[in-house]
Amino acid sequence: MSGERVLVVDDEAEILRCLRPALTACGYDVLSAETGREALRAIAARAPDVVLLDLGLPDMDGKDVINQAGVFSKTPIVVLSARDREAEKITALDAGAVDYVEKPFAIGELMARLRAALRHALRDGGKVDRIEHGDLAIDLARRIVTKAGAPVKLTPKEYDLLAHLARGEGRLLTHRQLLTAVWGPAHSDDSQYLRVFIGQLRAKIEDDPANPRLILTELGAGYRFAEASA
Amino acid sequence: MPPLLERNLDRRPDPDALLAVAGAKKRGKLCIFLGAAPGVGKTYSMLERARAAKADGVDVVIGVVETHGRQETQALLEGLEIMPRRAVEYRGRVIEEFDMDAALARKPKLIVVDELAHSNAPDSRHPKRWQDIEELLEAGVDVWTALNIQHLESLADVVARITGVRVRETVPDVVLSSACDVILVDITPDELLQRLHDGKVYFSQTARLAARNFFTPGNLTALRELALRRTAERVDDQVVDYLRQHAIEGPWGAAERLLVCVGADFASDNVVRAAARLATALNAEWTAVFVERPGQEEADAERVKRVDDALRLAERLGASTERLSAHDLAGDLLRFARRENFTQIVLGRSRSGRLARFFRRSLTQELVRRSRDIAVHVVTDEVAPPPGKIRLPSPLSLAGGFAGATASVAVAVGFGAALDHWLHLPNLSMIFLVAVIFCALRFGLWAAIMAAFLSFLAFDFFFVEPDYDFAISEPQEILALLVFLVVAVITGLLAGRVREHSIQLTQRIDATRSLFEFSRKVSGAATLDDVAWVATAQAQKALGAQCVVALAPQEGELRLAAAWPPLDALEVGEMSAARWAFEKAEAAGWRTGTLPNVRFQFRPLTTPRGVVGVCGVQPKKMDEPLSAQEDRTLSAILDQTAIAIDRAQLIDKSIHAAALEENEKLRTTLLSSISHDLRTPLASITGAVTSLRELGDKMSGSERQDLLASIEEESGRLSRFVKNLLDMSRIEAGALETRRDWVDVGDAIRAATQRIRKVFPDGKVIVSVAPSLPFIRADANLLQQVLFNLLDNAHKYGGGAAVSVHARQEGGDLVVTVTDEGPGIKPSDLERIFEKFYRGGRPDGRKAGTGLGLSICRGLVEAMGGTISAQSPALRRRGTRMILRFPAAETRGEER
Repeated sequence: MSGERVLVVDDEAEILRCLRPALTACGYDVLSAETGREALRAIAARAPDVVLLDLGLPDMDGKDVINQAGVFSKTPIVVLSARDREAEKITALDAGAVDYVEKPFAIGELMARLRAALRHALRDGGKVDRIEHGDLAIDLARRIVTKAGAPVKLTPKEYDLLAHLARGEGRLLTHRQLLTAVWGPAHSDDSQYLRVFIGQLRAKIEDDPANPRLILTELGAGYRFAEASA
Repeated sequence: MPPLLERNLDRRPDPDALLAVAGAKKRGKLCIFLGAAPGVGKTYSMLERARAAKADGVDVVIGVVETHGRQETQALLEGLEIMPRRAVEYRGRVIEEFDMDAALARKPKLIVVDELAHSNAPDSRHPKRWQDIEELLEAGVDVWTALNIQHLESLADVVARITGVRVRETVPDVVLSSACDVILVDITPDELLQRLHDGKVYFSQTARLAARNFFTPGNLTALRELALRRTAERVDDQVVDYLRQHAIEGPWGAAERLLVCVGADFASDNVVRAAARLATALNAEWTAVFVERPGQEEADAERVKRVDDALRLAERLGASTERLSAHDLAGDLLRFARRENFTQIVLGRSRSGRLARFFRRSLTQELVRRSRDIAVHVVTDEVAPPPGKIRLPSPLSLAGGFAGATASVAVAVGFGAALDHWLHLPNLSMIFLVAVIFCALRFGLWAAIMAAFLSFLAFDFFFVEPDYDFAISEPQEILALLVFLVVAVITGLLAGRVREHSIQLTQRIDATRSLFEFSRKVSGAATLDDVAWVATAQAQKALGAQCVVALAPQEGELRLAAAWPPLDALEVGEMSAARWAFEKAEAAGWRTGTLPNVRFQFRPLTTPRGVVGVCGVQPKKMDEPLSAQEDRTLSAILDQTAIAIDRAQLIDKSIHAAALEENEKLRTTLLSSISHDLRTPLASITGAVTSLRELGDKMSGSERQDLLASIEEESGRLSRFVKNLLDMSRIEAGALETRRDWVDVGDAIRAATQRIRKVFPDGKVIVSVAPSLPFIRADANLLQQVLFNLLDNAHKYGGGAAVSVHARQEGGDLVVTVTDEGPGIKPSDLERIFEKFYRGGRPDGRKAGTGLGLSICRGLVEAMGGTISAQSPALRRRGTRMILRFPAAETRGEER
């Protein structure tokens, strides 16, 4: 398969012990690091395609690893930690992590997040003109959205929000990231805008707005555009 | 715009006037039945109306009514609720007094309390009935009461002049002016005299004689005029108030403000009363002021008391009071008056001596000369000062001074004789002046004057021709001697005054120094009780009085915090005075308006955030007020104490808050720790299981086996952690079962090392057990568990080097050590490692420990009567040594 390299950073040997065979089976090359320093060195020297990072490291805080890695590398980082407090999750994402998986995790979910992160990294490099998900199609070049072939009327802000969510397909985008991208940095704390617009978007593109399948809520953290099942 | 609205905007009611009405709504209403003299029918009229009110369904209660056995009045009481009186024993007689507490407890809508001017029995809450009524009004009860015009404070001197009788029971004018209604009960003097003649006016035996002089047509007419005029003034005020409340324009010109100067002379009371009458007539606000020159403060207790009394009288008559300190009396007074917008100044004619008047203008003249726009009223005093009472020092000090004077003059004579013999000095009188000055400085004024006269005589006797005779031969010698006498006396006076000044200065310096010392001490006192102790000790030192401080910690009851000299508890009366001072934030007890019979005077300790406690002072001399100096010192101490208490309370609060925060932090750490320890094995297990299910067919057989093994191991780890948690909670709950038995430590060590070898097959353990060790009383399994935990730690943190276990006897103790060669533990952590969930580094640090092992070990060891401690570095600057120490069991040692 692709042979993409995954760097697993965790001081618990047991985690690596169960991840290594699973990742290998999915066709990844597995690198490992036990401390933050080792992790940074590995990111710099061996250029992994994606990093799985535990936040609780013996020598430094995982968030600092994200910050420091962001200076010299664009490698997407998926956070993997037992810290389940929302604040931790959001600061890690705002620091630049692309996604977040809580321990304990099912291996399928972890793999899906890794795939989304890798795809996102690829997409950042090339230009994507069109995103399709089920019967929803977004033409990014012409700014047209169709559902089951019929055009959907969106206001410019609704369109920007949807386009931003869809580009990060499968990835968790925090309130702050979405607000900054669509409304600008001055509004990064006005999460009530976001709730209103997400509600309007869902009413227009979801089959059943009360039970959304496209725009998923990550409680207290942000939103995620569902990954195409394909 | 509609004209109506416009008018409303222009004529808004005065907010102050409306506020006064709003305030009056919560308070009870006071209605005073005012009469010119006893016997005009006040009580009768009051009861008639009370019956009418009762008939209207008002909740009326009779608090106190004196019927003096008169049938008509007695008949009116029937059918009204009468409150029982409180029996008080006073000087062997039983007096029935109005029961204040019962009235407050009953709390009717309206209460009738006769005789507003009545003075209460000594142990009552307030000395005067009008104060009781004030409290009832404060509690929201309406009060009806009766008053004769002669009892009004501001009229006391006028009444005395008219009738020749000094009224002792007086009521402050404020009471009358603050009453909601004043009902004048009026009959003509002739009618009253007729009633008196018919025996309808009651007097006690003693008063009968006085009454004959009092009830003359002239007196009664004058009193009636006073009553009518006072009522009319009130009506006038009410009209003005009404006009202001309803924003009706009226001719109530610019408000006059009156300033009255009081001094230490006897006329001050009259000046204050005159000012009060003027103020009432002008409807003016007024202020009484006492001015003194800095450095020349009144030192004489008598004079200080007169100033205090005059100021207090002014307060009772409705004035506010001020004390000023000024170098230029007239100038500063006028400056003050202008700044505070006073329009008129009232003062008494100053009674300076003729000599002083010759040299400089009196304050009165000075004020009149410089007042310009401010009107100055000069009140001439009609009261002759009581015959000049010259204050003599005590006989003892007088005798001492006399002896001193005699001795000094004797020395001067001897010295003079010697000088005269050898040098023939022309002017020997100088030597006597030295003696006079010496006496003035050493013994004071009186000794100096004595010395002056003695010198005069001695000089005449010994040195004026003819010697040794009081006769004087030369006429010019007489003049010289007289001049000497005058010079000696004046010198003595001046030097004596210098001495008194310097003594005063020393006292003030002492006071300042002790205050400074106090503030230093009190700022060092951290706890509330410390502050209270320092305060009482300081107040005791400064006033020579017994002092107590009572504090109310957090809305609790007032409790005695400190007393010096020590006192176990306050008496009931003292406690209620203290409580009063605390609740009302004003002084209570000795020499105050509330519970004046209590030995202590309680003053509130007030901080910006409210009253924190009270300080009580029991003065040395009960019949003398505190001197101005003492009062100032006490106030300063109280201020400092209040600040210190406030600070101590804030410190308490911040410590409490810090402890809470620390606690919160600890809890967060524990939670994150447990969360990590539970989730890590769960994550491995879930990860492995889901990998096997979803990707199992893509894996090799050995990989699958390894995942299965990891599931098994992690499950074991999880169950160990859960077991540890359970053990811990069992130890904490005290539910740990220890079966204490005779245990051979060697056996336990062997069992533990065997177990650890299974977990760490590569680990190396060196065991050395001293021969013929005594047994210990312990639970073999628990001991083995402790040793296992220690070995486990030693392997985990020991960096792979050998671990040594050593057992030996030390005195009566059996000591087991487990030593590793790892990096060791920081000295600061040696004790902390036994804390729950402490793991040397961060809460979710790297090694797979739970942070429970050592705290469980400590729990177990202590449950078995032993101790456990850590030592690091153990050897060659590395390693950690865990030391277990058990008392050796005594009996079985020999049986081995």
